[in-house]
Amino acid sequence: MTFSGARWTALGLFCAAAAAFWQATKLSRWGFDGPGPGLYPQVIAAICMALALLVLALDRGDPAPVATDDDEAVARYDLAGPQERRTFHIYLLALVVLVAGSWLAGFIVTSLAVTIITMRFAEGVSWRATLITAAIIALAGVIVFSWLLQVSLPEGPADLAFRALLRQGGLL
Amino acid sequence: MEGLLGGFATVFQPATLMYCFIGVFLGTIVGILPGLGPLTTIALLLPITYKMDVTSAIIMLSGIYYGVAYGGTITSVLMRIPGEASSVVTCLDGYEMARKGRAGAALGIAAIGSFVAGTIGVVAVSYLSPPLSRWVLAFGPAEYAMVMLAGLSLVTYFSSGSRLKALLMAGFGLLLGAVGSDPLAAAPRLTFGIFHLTGGIDLAPLAIGLFGISEVLSMVLRKKEKMQVLAPPSSLLGFMPNREEARRSVGPVARGTVLGFIVGLIPGGGAVLATFLSYAVEKKLSKHPEQFGKGAVEGLAGPESANNSGTAGAFVPLLCMGVPANAITALLLGAFMIHGVAPGPTIMERQPELFWGVIASMYVGNVMLLVLNLPLVGLFVKILDVPRAWLAPIILTVCLIGVYSTNSAAMDVLLAVMFGVIGYILRRYGYDLGIVILAYVLGVIFERSVRQALAISDGDLGIFVSSPLTITFAVITAVLVGLAFVPRKRAPGPADAAIAVAEVSQVK
Repeated sequence: MTFSGARWTALGLFCAAAAAFWQATKLSRWGFDGPGPGLYPQVIAAICMALALLVLALDRGDPAPVATDDDEAVARYDLAGPQERRTFHIYLLALVVLVAGSWLAGFIVTSLAVTIITMRFAEGVSWRATLITAAIIALAGVIVFSWLLQVSLPEGPADLAFRALLRQGGLL
Repeated sequence: MEGLLGGFATVFQPATLMYCFIGVFLGTIVGILPGLGPLTTIALLLPITYKMDVTSAIIMLSGIYYGVAYGGTITSVLMRIPGEASSVVTCLDGYEMARKGRAGAALGIAAIGSFVAGTIGVVAVSYLSPPLSRWVLAFGPAEYAMVMLAGLSLVTYFSSGSRLKALLMAGFGLLLGAVGSDPLAAAPRLTFGIFHLTGGIDLAPLAIGLFGISEVLSMVLRKKEKMQVLAPPSSLLGFMPNREEARRSVGPVARGTVLGFIVGLIPGGGAVLATFLSYAVEKKLSKHPEQFGKGAVEGLAGPESANNSGTAGAFVPLLCMGVPANAITALLLGAFMIHGVAPGPTIMERQPELFWGVIASMYVGNVMLLVLNLPLVGLFVKILDVPRAWLAPIILTVCLIGVYSTNSAAMDVLLAVMFGVIGYILRRYGYDLGIVILAYVLGVIFERSVRQALAISDGDLGIFVSSPLTITFAVITAVLVGLAFVPRKRAPGPADAAIAVAEVSQVK
């Protein structure tokens, strides 16, 4: 039996369901007043395991991606050219930076870094256009979301410095 | 009538009117941009509405949903590229009309048909909702659980691709909804020792990851192509259909409106199915079926109307029963819940300003869309010139803001990225992710209903088949789940056709 990407995906789903089932078994299925917290996740996880096994057994081909009601079919990595694949890898790197940055560097630095990585290194836009766009996106994010809409953003040294600047200018 | 007038009073407050406008305007833009669907946009904007009052938030998000149907028409007619899947059928005859020099008439018929259908759909929502809500009030936990189970089964039945995979995704959606504190006993579940997960997985990281981030990854792999656009008319008169075209549109608009609304009510039915059914009906009824695909007015007017009334129809189960008909209304249900509002039969009595405000906003939004769409077509088409290089970092930044702002937690950003990558892989291998969101949102209510029913019956499963209603829903569920194990032998479904047309259009 050869293992295609489709089968690996089904196997991954089976393992995830099995892990959830194992976690759920630690909880009681029935309490003095009715069903316990473990019953529902155990049943659902067991159904998921069975369905994943069925998909694993029946999914022989390499199915086409589906388009749902609301978006179009996903583009396939295996059919993409070398240029698109390279761009894809750089975007994956940008996602890593997005996560690490939101933990460590705050909004402004993360937003600047992600924009520079995607625009300059992935899409090949000129440095000038990249830096201007990165600055606009970061600034718009802070002004529109943090300042006007009062949405909380990740905080880092640059964000604190920017806020101090605004406070000094009497804007905060 | 009083309630509706109160709703209009809510909508005509300047701030609410502005949010309604923002919603329909964004919806139109999203409908135009291929790849950026209403699900992604609503998911991205959901956390930003946390600070807004609930009525404005729901009005804006609903505006995006029904605005998309208008926007998708523009690219379908002028470029043969459906901005979103429910506009696919419009490509067939709308684009052919445009090629014959009737682009203005095609856009005009689509806009007027959409307006008529959307408005009639909203009228139907206003009149159907009160009696339906009264009926649903009599439901016990077992009835509720079975309605939701039947609804989920219908959604998996109508999903594109493998139904078995759709069932699996429904299971995973329910499982993801079970992560965190148990809704009745508050015991932490499925947290794997991660403290952050005791609060559960929030809708924002899940939806933004599965749709926003996975869409960016998919977008990157598509080739950059310069799109060819047929010229829209330069004056408003150019959008007017001639007498013959207007005469041929009346019947299809009327039929499409009724058909679309009924299909919209059915969980999983959705706008895509409504448009394809309407196209099939019009072709069947036409004296000249050979003209279909070559610029038949009926092939444009019927599906466009069905698309819009279907969108209105999907609000009925959401508002009256608290059961979403598709993934987008599931996100809207999530938005309601985030604001502490539980849509359902009692919403009309407890929060009439919200219920009628949302309905009144749909009347107003439809007028806004008609006024926006015809004169601004040229401007909207220019949006397609925005290159991916500029669009992607904006989407990623909005993802970061949307996800982080939910709990001010970087852990949510990690979760969103993980769901983004997983979502990309799942979509690649033919799994329908809309069902995950639908099941996730329904999960909490479903579990509560199941457990309450079992507690009442002291564990006797017979409670789920104890009344004619529960038996009916149980039979529907059993048949639909059973069909998931039967290999599909039918012709490709609507979404499969959507892919096909989209691919053909890109080749052309």
